[in-house]
Amino acid sequence: MSSDDEAPTADGGTASQSEAVEDRRSEEHPLEWDEPENNDKAPDERDSVSHRTEKYDDRKLVTGQAKYTADYEERYPDLAYAAVVRSDIPHGRVTDIDTSDAEAMDGVDAVLTPESDAVPDGKYTSAGQSYPEPSPWDMHVLNKHVRYIGDPIAAVAAEDRTTATAAVEAIEVSYEEYDYVTDPEAAFDENAPQLFEDVEVENEIVGHDYDRNRMAHIGGELGDVAAALDGETHVHETEWETIRQSHANVEKHTSLAYTNEDDRHVLITSTQVPNHTRRQLAHLFDIPIRDIRVQKPRVGGGFGGKQAMVVEPIPLALSLATDRPVLYEASREEEFYAMRSRHPMKVKAKTAVTDEGDIVAIDIYALSNTGAYGSHGMTVAGNVGSKPLPLYSKVPNARFEADIVHTNTPQTGAMRGYGAPQGTLALEGHLDEVARDLGLDPIEFRRRHHMEVGDLDEIAGMMGGEGANRRIRSCGLDECIERGKDAIGYDDLEQPDEDHLHRGIGMALSAQGTGVAGDELGAAQIMMNEDGSFHLQVGGVDIGTGADTAFLQIAAEVLGCDEDDIIVKSADTDVTPFDYGAYASSTTYISGMAVKKAAEDAKARILHWGSKLLEEPVEELETGDGTVYSEASGDSVTLEDIGYEAAYGGDEREHILGKGTHCTEESPPPFAAQFADVTVDETTGEFEVQKLVVAVDCGVAINPGMAEGQIEGANHMSYEMAVSDGITLDDEGRAEIADFDEYGLPSATETPPIESILVETHEPTGPFGAKSVAEVPTNTVPPALSNAVRDAVGVRIREMPITADKIKTQLDERNS
Amino acid sequence: MDIELTINGERTTVEAGSADDLATVLRQHGYIGVKCGCDGGTCGASKVFVDGEVRMACGMAAVDADGSEIQTVAALGTQNDLHPVQQAFVDNFAVQCGFCIPGMVIQAVALLDSNPDPTEREVREALDDNVCRCTGYQKPVEAVLDAAERMRGAQSVAADGGHSVTVSPNANESTRCCGGDCDE
Ligand code: FES
Ligand code: FES
Repeated sequence: MSSDDEAPTADGGTASQSEAVEDRRSEEHPLEWDEPENNDKAPDERDSVSHRTEKYDDRKLVTGQAKYTADYEERYPDLAYAAVVRSDIPHGRVTDIDTSDAEAMDGVDAVLTPESDAVPDGKYTSAGQSYPEPSPWDMHVLNKHVRYIGDPIAAVAAEDRTTATAAVEAIEVSYEEYDYVTDPEAAFDENAPQLFEDVEVENEIVGHDYDRNRMAHIGGELGDVAAALDGETHVHETEWETIRQSHANVEKHTSLAYTNEDDRHVLITSTQVPNHTRRQLAHLFDIPIRDIRVQKPRVGGGFGGKQAMVVEPIPLALSLATDRPVLYEASREEEFYAMRSRHPMKVKAKTAVTDEGDIVAIDIYALSNTGAYGSHGMTVAGNVGSKPLPLYSKVPNARFEADIVHTNTPQTGAMRGYGAPQGTLALEGHLDEVARDLGLDPIEFRRRHHMEVGDLDEIAGMMGGEGANRRIRSCGLDECIERGKDAIGYDDLEQPDEDHLHRGIGMALSAQGTGVAGDELGAAQIMMNEDGSFHLQVGGVDIGTGADTAFLQIAAEVLGCDEDDIIVKSADTDVTPFDYGAYASSTTYISGMAVKKAAEDAKARILHWGSKLLEEPVEELETGDGTVYSEASGDSVTLEDIGYEAAYGGDEREHILGKGTHCTEESPPPFAAQFADVTVDETTGEFEVQKLVVAVDCGVAINPGMAEGQIEGANHMSYEMAVSDGITLDDEGRAEIADFDEYGLPSATETPPIESILVETHEPTGPFGAKSVAEVPTNTVPPALSNAVRDAVGVRIREMPITADKIKTQLDERNS
Repeated sequence: MDIELTINGERTTVEAGSADDLATVLRQHGYIGVKCGCDGGTCGASKVFVDGEVRMACGMAAVDADGSEIQTVAALGTQNDLHPVQQAFVDNFAVQCGFCIPGMVIQAVALLDSNPDPTEREVREALDDNVCRCTGYQKPVEAVLDAAERMRGAQSVAADGGHSVTVSPNANESTRCCGGDCDE
């Protein structure tokens, strides 16, 4: 049962908690949420939600029949293939592009340079975000001023992939080379090479200072941190560093563009943000939004890397130039050096703690390396503070600041966790160290301070905008910690027999958000067919997470039908309603709520027809088991009869349609408690992670099987962030990684067993009590593993990845 | 040049340039269950059976496959009649985006063919060059172990006083499809 069953009552079951937080805005953030009727279903009343329903597209996926973008190839016999010329210097100006050899090649259809008519020369950001865009417009489709090894300069369309690649190789680019800078701290220096002049950027961001390569500076404060740090307390300061992680989606960025028989420009594309992509293309190419159609087929993983318009303008420009459909599929090498990556950061954490172990102030500072361009730079950095800090929402003084700096290195972007992994490492590693220094149990220390139901979270709001203050109405952290501890065997840990081996357990907490408060929109419509089945059209985007299945479970729960009786069509801008896209953990919460509303709208009409056929008042009727039935009389009529009757019977025939739109000011955090069990060899520093356990409170899991899958996959990604090098660069900022073997994603044998635990709570603002699940477990392995190593052998690794060498070096230093 | 292939039981003659890899040729002929996640040999998405051996189709010249028998994931089961490995992947929620899954399924079938009762470690070793970014391998490994159990259960039916008789795990005659007779 939900841990929120003992949720605070209005009479102040949480009085002690609320005292710690000054409750100034309770009216705007009531604890009692006016929850829609029938949103809170007890487990035994649920017919479809929170069942392990088979994933909607699985049978197609396991038989290899599902279509991803590249699989549409065969539909277009006239298809041309794109390839891109990219900068091989870190910084400079293109003085000449010799395309003559390429153009003369057999099978080459078009060669585009920044001067070509088909290439827009306006500025934009690749970040697929809401409008007005919170990222600077600092990019061009093709560039004369190149800022990193990988910047696109020219593009080719040819009969086949081999010819396209050969043509790219035949193009000669001459440059005037500039000084470059790859280190974010050095870039900050006034004398460092400058990447942008002010005039080169539109839509500039708060705190920008291009003379110092600063794209943005953000910050916020609650209380008075300086004064608190000055007080008579223990002040601790630590610094942490994270890797440049690749999304490593197995399906590469792929996009196919053509102009259809209605003169409309169609993109079949592997994206998380079809509606934003359509808007961005319209802006860039000066084409009316209505004349662009973005269709999302199956997507082979996004993880934020496809919350960006990374490749789409290239095939569109080439198809306009050639009048042919054009497919652009990035190469695997391009994935690593020219698509997107997680922002590498240095994060400082500082706290003031009393003798009694009360935290009176937390101060976090992040230096984020946004690379050559600023997409997602400010918003990701914001989340370094605004996602993890609220875990300790009772702390009276908190401050967060970040500088986001340009360097001549590959582009960063959105990635699962979106700044929270970097912030969580710093905060959860830091607090662990503070507890150990004070001789306190690190778990009990967190328990004293972590967020609880009823808290008014002002930390999330301290930077304004996205994270406005919020009331916490569901929080299963205590249960996450309890069950995680049990599963990892915290209380009866046995040490290995060998004296040089030491076993330790580390834990870390995490909080994320669910959607972007005040800045989200999802919409859906449902039409009933005359056989009683349904078509659900939803703008929400399934990128492999199982969102389509969650949508149909939500719809089936409302409509009282079998999931098999619903067809889902998601994310085709010509067909499906508007949606912000798959990011910020919003899909089930926002788009799912839109689906629920659409289903309720349709249900109202279904009940109306049921009432006609059964000759009973609507109030007596309910849907279930594919029927409308009367509690009072026990009579029922099938949905099939209703579908037929509505379409063909009676005078007042109608097509039963339901529509739903959902926006929200809320962004309830899901929570996680991570545990890592590690054995370290004191003589070599080598370590083995025996097991990862992560317990997650995602509200009601709409599909527990899928939710576990999301948790385990996220935790694997988090594990990679703790133990892998990520994308390493040479001195010029050139990615040293060309393929999966070099990248070093932990493989099946290199990954420890991951145990996922679902802790059910009920979030009254989410569909049937759901909040998000996919991001929060991405944040926790680096701190938990750092804490576990500390627990095992007493040394602290703050710079990711955690390696045997680093442990050994520290052990040697300590012992000497 | 023209090469002869038997693909999922169907004999065809296809044209292939000397530089064409097998994955490209198969995909051009509509066998989209052959996925390409890398530019050669590092992701495992393009795995197929070539004369019964698991090969990464992207790393093999199509002309070298001349005369061979090829099975893609589509040969193993249909949507209404999945191979036990495919069924186990579905039932264990081991599929997320699905892009790596054809290669994983092929590899898992090959493993269970040679080792019907693998340990968890053996399953992980078998899947070691199949990159999956979505699942953390936890559920795929569970799925393969589950499939092994199902297949052992189906194959080994004690009858007649303890003598085992072998029956096929499902409509597909063996784990390697049908040996060339099906029309998948
Ligand atoms: S595409 Fe063949 S192994 Fe990656
Ligand atoms: S399911 Fe997406 S890569 Fe494996």
